[in-house]
Amino acid sequence: MTADVADVAQAAAASPEKPRFGPVAWLRWGWRQLTSMRTALVLLFLLALASIPGSVLPQEGIDPAAVTQYYTAHPALAPIVARLSGFDVFGSPWFAAIYLLLFTSLAGCVLPRAFRLAKSSRQPPPKAPRHFHRLPQATSFAAARPAEETLESAAGLLRRRRFRLRTGDGWISAEKGYLHEVGNLLFHIALLGLLGSVALGGLFGYKANKLLVAGNSFANTPTALDVFHPGRLVTATDLQPFSITMTNFSASYITTGTQRGEPSSFNAELRYTAQYGGPARKYDLQVNHPLNVDGVQVFLIGHGYAPVFKVTDGAGQVVFNQPVPFIPVDTTGLTSDGVIKVPDASPQELGFSGQFLPTAYETITGTVASAFPAAELPRVILVGYAGNLGLNSGQPQSIYSLDTAQMHQIDVAPKLLAPGQSMVLPHGLGKLTFTGYRQWASLAITYDPGQMPALISALAALGGLIMSFLVRRRRIFVRAGSDGGGTIVELAGLTRSDAAGGFEAEFAELAVEFERELSGPAGPDLARGDDPPAPTAPQAGSADEVALAQSKGE
Amino acid sequence: MPNSALAQVSNAALVSAIMLYGFAMLAYACDFLYNRRQTEVAAPVRPARATVNSGVLVGAGAGPDLADHNFGADPADPSELADLSGLTDGHGSGGSGSAGVSSAGRAGAGLAGAGLAGAGASGQPRWPAGPWLRTAFVLTCLGLVVHMGAIVTRGLAEDRVPWGNMYEFISAITCAAVLFLTLAAVKFRAYYMGLFVLLPVVIALAVDVVFIYTPAGAVAPALNSYWIAIHVTGMIIAIGMYIFGAVVTVLYLMASRHERRVAAGQESAVAGIMAQLPSSTKLDQLAYRAILFAFPAWTFAVIAGAIWADHAWGRYWGWDPKETWSFITWVVYAAFLHARATAGWRGRRAAYIQLLGFACLMFNLVGVNLWITGLHSYAGLPH
Repeated sequence: MTADVADVAQAAAASPEKPRFGPVAWLRWGWRQLTSMRTALVLLFLLALASIPGSVLPQEGIDPAAVTQYYTAHPALAPIVARLSGFDVFGSPWFAAIYLLLFTSLAGCVLPRAFRLAKSSRQPPPKAPRHFHRLPQATSFAAARPAEETLESAAGLLRRRRFRLRTGDGWISAEKGYLHEVGNLLFHIALLGLLGSVALGGLFGYKANKLLVAGNSFANTPTALDVFHPGRLVTATDLQPFSITMTNFSASYITTGTQRGEPSSFNAELRYTAQYGGPARKYDLQVNHPLNVDGVQVFLIGHGYAPVFKVTDGAGQVVFNQPVPFIPVDTTGLTSDGVIKVPDASPQELGFSGQFLPTAYETITGTVASAFPAAELPRVILVGYAGNLGLNSGQPQSIYSLDTAQMHQIDVAPKLLAPGQSMVLPHGLGKLTFTGYRQWASLAITYDPGQMPALISALAALGGLIMSFLVRRRRIFVRAGSDGGGTIVELAGLTRSDAAGGFEAEFAELAVEFERELSGPAGPDLARGDDPPAPTAPQAGSADEVALAQSKGE
Repeated sequence: MPNSALAQVSNAALVSAIMLYGFAMLAYACDFLYNRRQTEVAAPVRPARATVNSGVLVGAGAGPDLADHNFGADPADPSELADLSGLTDGHGSGGSGSAGVSSAGRAGAGLAGAGLAGAGASGQPRWPAGPWLRTAFVLTCLGLVVHMGAIVTRGLAEDRVPWGNMYEFISAITCAAVLFLTLAAVKFRAYYMGLFVLLPVVIALAVDVVFIYTPAGAVAPALNSYWIAIHVTGMIIAIGMYIFGAVVTVLYLMASRHERRVAAGQESAVAGIMAQLPSSTKLDQLAYRAILFAFPAWTFAVIAGAIWADHAWGRYWGWDPKETWSFITWVVYAAFLHARATAGWRGRRAAYIQLLGFACLMFNLVGVNLWITGLHSYAGLPH
């Protein structure tokens, strides 16, 4: 998007002539404004500014728990922030408005330029200007041979350097470096491609999460997944029909030094089938080592413990016997919180909330905590409740929280259980046994058909960027005319896009080559003679002479 | 497990590097104070309108009369910025007049083109002139070698790529900044940059060693991927160059202010230093080149990060705070590049945009690491 300064200038020039704007003129004016560089700059700044709240406020799509936390911390402010899409900045209408305007502006600027480039690549370069000395690079020297022959050799030299040529009466105009504009356009068009790829992923892709306890399986269906974010055009039947069993999960931790307790590796041993009834394959799922099945990627993003509990109710029935995933609340000791809901217990429904301590120890204040994330000395602490769990109220409940509104706390002992130990519940409510623990892994399942196009677009953008920075579009002009006895060759150069610099050097090199090839035995002497030793305003002197030589020649 | 002997060698080397940089700064400062010869050393170079025979061009830098035309004809054309050959141009004597004309005049007075263009057999020495400057440059290079040694031994001690936490990262980006300083010094004869680049480098390294030091150790499993070598190395290269560009831009702003004051006949508080620096136009061009290098490097590093994020987290872009701020940084530097190409935004305004981009970069490095938790919380610092 280079400045369409000319357009703006035109618009400005046109305005006094047409004081009354019709709707078409207004539209045209609006389009010009939108596609102008100034607007693009303002939109770029707006885009940067609009991204900031997304990094400061908790985002629904990244950390929903933090959003909930924000609601409790700022009960008055949170609804206002939510109304302004503050928790979903990058999906908000105002953010979309900015980037859509920016990309419209970009398209409006880039597409006409692409057409212009296509056109100019089929046309010869423009005519050589009349006065070379006005150009940033200019030099002259005397040639040995007549003007026409000299020009022919000059054309040959330029052609050898792969310039595109246009010749006229006594002049050559040569142009090269169209790749600069090609690179620039490629960069901008690739950005449009990137936006399109993101949109493709948003429409046809999906994201899901699944917490899987070791030993359990699930199939890739919306109901089996814990969290499912389908793209706008995704239906349940679009999901790839694979199923996964996690046979084992292992984690290892650093045991010595200052980094003691930090994880060193995770491994989830999976068995999966790509489709129902298909052959089962094995895969070791690790961080940075996702499973790719049928174009869907499965990642290991979290882990924790699932203590296994067995509950025998007052009637002597085993009403609960399963692992319960507890969620880590601290990383150093992997202390985890969780709840157990036993709706089938009689005479009363039972609920427990508690903590799992992988390596329990008693602190000096008498409480218990976990010292290490591996299960060296696993213990659970539980608080028991009896009453109505409220599961039949119709209100959806989280499996990780206990609604104790219609329950009363019961006195359980012992509160701290080791694997195999049981606690007897009072009033003949039954018994709970902590039979052991398993580990769970949380898996992220993503399908994004825009992924590959996005990668290609991004690489194309990078390539275009580098190309436009390295290549410069430049024109070289040659004029040859007879000056009394000899031939004077003038050489001039112009570049518009010398971002990385170096055109001067190229022109210097070219000038040296031209002089070597074209100047005759008398050439250098003449050239030196042309050089007036006027240190005060040397360029002015020589420019005048060039102009003089020119007027003489014509 | 980390090799503690090697780790100690690394720590000692880093402290030595800081000391060498400090001595180099001292020598650069002495050069500014005592070495008045520099401008004279540069004087005997050829005039700008050297003859074609000698390989340097007529009209390269152009005289004052053409300077205006250059600006008018195509402001984007940096040919008026004749060269970046640093101390060799007669800035001090070049003096007054409007910024544009005077700079072009100066370019004309100095050796236009040859240094930058490296126009073949121009034979210009690229090595620093004067004993102080030579000492300073040698000390800088020594410091750089020791600094690199510190990084390499750290990597050997840990048996991994040595940029896995904030301590190591700061050491790496400052090393990159000094590396680019020495390269630019030789290539564009920008030796005058030494003091100004080393100042923030030494401060950052001192803070790094004193407050941010993290003992050698393994990285989190999330960082245990070959992508760390690609993504983070790209970031280090880009940030090193952004640092260099920002320092040059600060000098540019000082120089352009100084030139405006001189043009208006006012006193300039920084005249002493400015007399030894190239014109604002050249500083501007040097800063622009730095960004022309850093921006694609940054783009590459962000893309590499996105690929890694896709491998590790299942999405190539998730608006994690670090990602958001690298996006903001990218957008602001893109705005800078566009501003440079737009009439009315060039010069000081564009320079401020560049510094804004640098501020975003620094916030991403420091602020996001310290105050915002996200997936990129690898700083290794207690929260």
